[in-house]
Amino acid sequence: MTTQERVRLIILELIAVALALLILIPFYMILVNSFKGIRESALFGLSLPSVWEFKNYKDTLQQAHVLRGFKNSFLISGSVVVCVNLFASMIAFVIQRRDDKLMRAIFYTFICGLIVPVSIVPTIKLMGDLHIRGTYFSLIMYYTAVLLPFAVFLLVGFMKSIPRELDEAALLEGCSFFRLYAQIILPLLMTVLVTITIVVMVSVWNDFFGPFYLMTDSTKWTIVLQIFNFVTMYSTNWGIVFAFMVLVVAPILLLYLLLQRFIIDGLTAGSLKG
Amino acid sequence: MEKRKYPLYFSFPALAIFLLFFLTPTLIGFYFSFTDWNINADTIRFTGLDNYRELFREPRLKTALTNTLIFAACVTVLQNVCGLGLALILNEALKLRNLLRMVFFMPYVISPLVIGYIFRAIYHPENGVVNHLLQTFGLGFLAHDWLNDPKIALYSVIGTDVWRVAGFSMVVYLAGLQFIPKDLTESSAIDGAGYWSRFRSIIFPLLAPAFTVNVLLSMIGSMKVFEMVYVLTEGGPGYTTEVFFTYIRSMFSTGQFGYATAVNLMLFVLVTVVGVPVLLAMKKREVEM
Repeated sequence: MTTQERVRLIILELIAVALALLILIPFYMILVNSFKGIRESALFGLSLPSVWEFKNYKDTLQQAHVLRGFKNSFLISGSVVVCVNLFASMIAFVIQRRDDKLMRAIFYTFICGLIVPVSIVPTIKLMGDLHIRGTYFSLIMYYTAVLLPFAVFLLVGFMKSIPRELDEAALLEGCSFFRLYAQIILPLLMTVLVTITIVVMVSVWNDFFGPFYLMTDSTKWTIVLQIFNFVTMYSTNWGIVFAFMVLVVAPILLLYLLLQRFIIDGLTAGSLKG
Repeated sequence: MEKRKYPLYFSFPALAIFLLFFLTPTLIGFYFSFTDWNINADTIRFTGLDNYRELFREPRLKTALTNTLIFAACVTVLQNVCGLGLALILNEALKLRNLLRMVFFMPYVISPLVIGYIFRAIYHPENGVVNHLLQTFGLGFLAHDWLNDPKIALYSVIGTDVWRVAGFSMVVYLAGLQFIPKDLTESSAIDGAGYWSRFRSIIFPLLAPAFTVNVLLSMIGSMKVFEMVYVLTEGGPGYTTEVFFTYIRSMFSTGQFGYATAVNLMLFVLVTVVGVPVLLAMKKREVEM
């Protein structure tokens, strides 16, 4: 490596580190302020707390149903991940393999779902008419319907790379279509399914729009809806609000830090194959 | 082998859920946008084009339309410029490369709602970090009330959203860069091509698929923005940061359900008019490849 090349790399590295600080400062700000008292936290400063208020966390855990929120978020996003992966891979298998007029029409209907914005007011009415409004089931179905198009789009694209000869060989051996799908096709789709799982998990876990409109029963609120409610109630004490935010951000950030290689690789592999 | 034999019932669960919970509300929304459906009325009456007539007279719709377009255009451009820049830097042999990639993607895994709250503190006129830093560097004259100044509130929201999503574009561009054969860029470097001409004639054209995926995703996503605007400004001050979904929200909360679905249909038209041509261009390019 020439000296010139080395200098160039060092300059680029410095620029990148400076930009990374722009990403990290907001995270640092909520962390440091979550340990401050009511007056100091309202200043939103970056300095360390003059008095460390660990009590903020205790108060938050007592005042808010943090654990219940986590349980609801986990239940809902977990169910959506299962539904989307399972149903999307099944339909993508038939769409790509049959490839007739009907299937192409179905495929393009799903593609439209990728573009068209959700009609939230009629959705609320529909859920009411079906007598499922405010249930976990209604929210899981809402998210599944919204996220299926994206999954179908990725899976149909990826399915093209799985040779049809594989199907023929398996079927000649007397394998049923169900076993062909479950034991041969599904394992080959793993990389895309990982990508879908990540994207679905992140979007459902973090979503505010869905539960904001569809969840009336506060015992079924997701963690994100709880923050919204909590901030409205306690916006006078930012120390407590920030402590809540740290509690909410920490698990998903921790999960991300543990899985980040996997996440970025999964997105990298999946994002351009569609 | 007969293609037709692939069992049709495999498509039933996905199809049923999509038809019932996505397509049905979209279609009944189309009908309700022609009615006076509201919280006070006992019956729903068909009123033809009344909602639309009212809609086009309403300056708030024009504001929402303009703001949505400004928001989408700015976020799409900035997200892609930042994402591409970051990807190009982090594609080099930097020591902290993996750590830095991890940091830039971090905001994307956090809820936009939480990010909105964090930035409400950051933009705070007296105590916020932004104004403090500006004063520290002697740029105090640039300090603003970022979220309450009607001239810049929308751009403060745009900045926050770009902060959140730039890392996502970066990852897609990094993926694209991996598909470019190394010897192609190296041989052109040996031939004496500078970085800029290498970028223009080799890297940029070969990044086309990543480019379309990114542009499509950020355009469609940013036109459907809700949380970020709702938490940061609630569409204010006045209606200066109003976008479609905040407008729909306020019509919904005043109980004007028929009117709210009509606004939703306008958003539908807008996203389709902008999104479909891009999607078709993308499909066409795929065929060519």
